[in-house]
Amino acid sequence: MLPGRDGRGPGDPPDDAEEARPPPRSYVFICCAPHGRVGVSTTARLLSDYFLASRRGFVGFDADPHEPDYAQRFSGRARNVDLNSTQGQIDVIDRLLVPDGEAKIIDLWSRSYDRFFTLIQDIGFVEEARSQNVEPVILFHADPSQASPSAAYQLAQALPTVETLLTYNEGAAPFGPQLQDKLALYPPHRRLKIGALDALVGRALQPLDLSLSYFLLDPPSEMSLVVRAGLKAWLTPIFAQFRAFEMRRALEDASWLI
Amino acid sequence: MKPAVILVGADKGGVGKTTVSRALLDYLAANNILTRAFDTEFPRGTLKRFHGPIAEVVDITQTSDQMRILDTLNSAQIKVSVIDTRAGALSATLRALRDVGFLEAVKSNDFTFTLLHVLGPSIASLDEIAETAPFIEGANYFLVKNHINATTFFEWDPVTNRRYFERVNPAGEIVIPKLDEMAYEQVEIAGVPFSTFVANKTAEGDPANSSFVLRGYVRTWQNKIAEELRRVRLLDILAQRT
Repeated sequence: MLPGRDGRGPGDPPDDAEEARPPPRSYVFICCAPHGRVGVSTTARLLSDYFLASRRGFVGFDADPHEPDYAQRFSGRARNVDLNSTQGQIDVIDRLLVPDGEAKIIDLWSRSYDRFFTLIQDIGFVEEARSQNVEPVILFHADPSQASPSAAYQLAQALPTVETLLTYNEGAAPFGPQLQDKLALYPPHRRLKIGALDALVGRALQPLDLSLSYFLLDPPSEMSLVVRAGLKAWLTPIFAQFRAFEMRRALEDASWLI
Repeated sequence: MKPAVILVGADKGGVGKTTVSRALLDYLAANNILTRAFDTEFPRGTLKRFHGPIAEVVDITQTSDQMRILDTLNSAQIKVSVIDTRAGALSATLRALRDVGFLEAVKSNDFTFTLLHVLGPSIASLDEIAETAPFIEGANYFLVKNHINATTFFEWDPVTNRRYFERVNPAGEIVIPKLDEMAYEQVEIAGVPFSTFVANKTAEGDPANSSFVLRGYVRTWQNKIAEELRRVRLLDILAQRT
């Protein structure tokens, strides 16, 4: 999952040696929370822009039929799906299982949370995914509610072999000064921190046509310098965490390492 | 092992007799029980469409076909026979089995006879229980609650429930859970046994291209049915390990 090192773009044809090589492992990032308004769509957006910024494609799914903010932001790559219908489930799950080396990102609507995880357990999704060289990763979004840690434990118990990143968005679901104590109530997952954003800078994120990946490469000249700096300072550690995740997984997968 | 007959039937139509028969044949095959099947939906044969190699279409009202089934019970190498009765033919089939002396032979312990009486969620369907009662002596009689939709079997109304379900003393109840409609329809279109669909194969054994979600739904449904059949110890009954 670390292409882009040769500097070639996704549209460039592979050379002969690459054609013979099987596609790298495909990751499925499931951004989720049992409760709404805790930053799930933001994480899906950040992940998507991370892949775009590193000149890689992705396939996105927005499971919120009412406010498909994520799908609207990436209209060519992400689509709106209805997980309540069997056809919608087929559209998502069957696509997730395509071992094409491309990352899949799901922005899971909180009201589809139970249904989705029940479904993937019932149909044996994880086992099938692994047999196809597809690796699911859950980004469970913590929130200050009492029910959140127990939901995280239930999920960890239901899918014990799936890596879960305990994601906490300090802007959308602030824990306050007792952050560490409250996070200690969750299963001992690795953590992913999405920092809080100044309100003014946060407003700059709202336009649907603002691409964070393009912003990093070529910030819009009309944007205030302060806002630019604020956004960059916010994005950099988040993308660094994504990169760290990828590097760790690559090292873990490296069979030539003792 | 004594020859065993499993009759899957109901007088009411549309309650899922053939679906239950198909699930049963898959379960027996998964447990390495060689089985022959008789499809009494003469002349069309729905079961035959899915389980062609092991199913024969018969007209249970014809003596020649009754002979094809019953006279070969002892001689056939395959000791388990599943009869899928067509709609409206359960009582007629039971009468025919009584008239040719099969039910007497069951009482004498010459054969193992299991009746899976498939119930639909209607009073008409429940009325059949009383009509079936005279024929079940010596048989392993199971009431099969087939949840073809989200309905209940009057469990919410204890009076009605007792009125029907206390009339007989079945060996047990088997609950067939609801299968996702689209998954069911895709298997219909494929025209293969459920297990073949789950294995993503065509009738010819070639790789198919069925949705993993739909296969997953069918697999989960099959597992639940297998759990039910294990719970009622169907294999022990067939092997006379009661």
